[in-house]
Amino acid sequence: MFNIGTVYRFEVIRTLKKRSFWLTALAFPLLMALVGAIIYFSNSTTADIANKMKTERFSMMVTDDSHLLMPGQITANSIQVTTTKREGIDAVKNGTVDAYFYFPANIVSAPVEVYGKNVGLFDNDKYASVAKYLLEQSASLDVTPNVASVLRGAAKVTTTTYEKGQVYDGFQRAIIPGLFLVLFYFLIAMFGGQMLASTTEEKENRVMEMILTTVTAKTLIIGKIFSLVTLALVQGLIFATPVVLAYVFFRNQLSIPAIDFSTIPIDPFRIAIAALIFTASFFLFTGLLVMIGAASPTAKEASGFLGVVMMFIFAPLYAAALFISSPDTLIVQIMTYFPLTAPIPAMIRNAAGNLTANEAIIVVVLLTLSAIIVMYLAIRLFKYGAIEYSKKLSIRTLFRRLQ
Amino acid sequence: MEDARVIVSVSHFKMKFGNKTVIDDLSFVVKKGEVFGFLGSNGSGKTTTIRALLGLYEPTAGELTIEGRHFQPGTDAVKLGYLPEERGLYKKEKVIDVMQYFGQLKHMPKAKARAASLAYLARVGMSSYADTRLDKLSGGQQQKVQLGVTIMNNPDLLILDEPTKGFDPVNRRLLMNIVEDHRKAGATIIFITHQMDEVEQLCDRIILLKDGRAHAYGTVAGVRNKFGGKSLDDIFVQVYGDENEEEQEQDV
Repeated sequence: MFNIGTVYRFEVIRTLKKRSFWLTALAFPLLMALVGAIIYFSNSTTADIANKMKTERFSMMVTDDSHLLMPGQITANSIQVTTTKREGIDAVKNGTVDAYFYFPANIVSAPVEVYGKNVGLFDNDKYASVAKYLLEQSASLDVTPNVASVLRGAAKVTTTTYEKGQVYDGFQRAIIPGLFLVLFYFLIAMFGGQMLASTTEEKENRVMEMILTTVTAKTLIIGKIFSLVTLALVQGLIFATPVVLAYVFFRNQLSIPAIDFSTIPIDPFRIAIAALIFTASFFLFTGLLVMIGAASPTAKEASGFLGVVMMFIFAPLYAAALFISSPDTLIVQIMTYFPLTAPIPAMIRNAAGNLTANEAIIVVVLLTLSAIIVMYLAIRLFKYGAIEYSKKLSIRTLFRRLQ
Repeated sequence: MEDARVIVSVSHFKMKFGNKTVIDDLSFVVKKGEVFGFLGSNGSGKTTTIRALLGLYEPTAGELTIEGRHFQPGTDAVKLGYLPEERGLYKKEKVIDVMQYFGQLKHMPKAKARAASLAYLARVGMSSYADTRLDKLSGGQQQKVQLGVTIMNNPDLLILDEPTKGFDPVNRRLLMNIVEDHRKAGATIIFITHQMDEVEQLCDRIILLKDGRAHAYGTVAGVRNKFGGKSLDDIFVQVYGDENEEEQEQDV
């Protein structure tokens, strides 16, 4: 075990020297920065145009068969009035006015018709906005501000729930345990391919015999796992940096809601269960990858098997709503206790608060036992299967090597 | 009681792959400080025996030990240098980085591993390639680097599986000189080769493997006497010639 540090350093340093690592790591934050910039400029542009529209005046003509518009509105906005739609449309066509609005008698069944002089794809929207604004303005003049707010769908609702006499916020309580699910997803997505490439690399380079007579398979694998976790964390930091910067410095421009971190509740039991499920799941998945790597001659061939493992682990995400709403159904129970599918349902249910203490303990024990068995078999298979350089191990050979 | 001079002991070793028996009741010892020739035709089980000795294969039966113990990499029981038949290193890495890495894995301090790597590269005329990626080197140069990795910790036991394969005569001579230096320094060397002149030049004792068994075993002179004083080359042809004829017949 003396050499774990040496393997770890070698793997981390050489990966950090690779251009491909930085390309992958920086691609996401750069993309985010680009999207952020687009949103920022788009928001600025929209705000600018909205302001411009407030001050900008254009000549209007209306026909109000709905009788919703108030005379004061018409006077205040210097709107011309006509009784026929034809006259209004002709006025736009011949440039006498910039826009003509036709308000039908029954606006529930018939649309408000807007005609205007073309001023560009985006700017043409101002005509419809003004027509709607005129209607909203006239409607709200008729009712109280409360009714107007309800009609606009602007009424706000806050919900407070209690458990054992204490305020219980299910969503906030799910945040910290839920972070383990995000971390698991992120680590597996980033780590899966790299781990597989890392376990098949010695085989593809025919360096396996030299390395396995210098360090034990266990030392090599543990060193590699630690290095890949470190690299995944480095990537995580690179990914998180622009998010944090955006939140701290550009929250208003990017319309990011404010989060009060002091109000996030800490549930030590649920957090501990999330951490245990995460750790056992991570080692179970890693063990499976090592087994696949040891049984396949190249990373390319191994990637096919990786797909199958990924399917087992991530397919339950499609049933995420079921884990929250119907935790007692048979399918949810099966997925929660079957080790290969357990990580996602168990973590979602734990975050949602419907994984009982007994269930949590059973899941943690099952996952831990599975991880230990798979890791043991993986190291053994790696040791004895890794020097089958050019051929895929058959199932028969696989079992013989594992005996 | 075990002979204190024995460094490698193979006792009643049997190896089966599926139903095929590759090695059947093989026993021999290698003594400290000697150069031991491990001979046999292709597929006779030489590499399998070495892999089992080094724990890469689990033997079907028998005991294979180094210094009286099953080999465990990373321990200080014996300093091992192993050049396998399958050659390869981390191709995308620089020569010096790979050599230093292996040196450190062999428990050498970083600075010492680096110094030893540079000294070896200078000796084999590859100083200017220290910062070159391995995949930019020729096959022969890569092989030299691999030999450097094998011997950089001054091993007590050096196992070389066909070390001169792919070397031109100049580099072959260079390699033989390096091996000779290690022998003089007291290392035990197990030499697997088809080059009988190398065996005659270097080896103290030899074993000839045929059909998974020891066909002949002893000092070079003893084995030659057993075959009526023939050269090792002639003995090899005599022992394995029929296998080649069978192979040729099968090919036809």
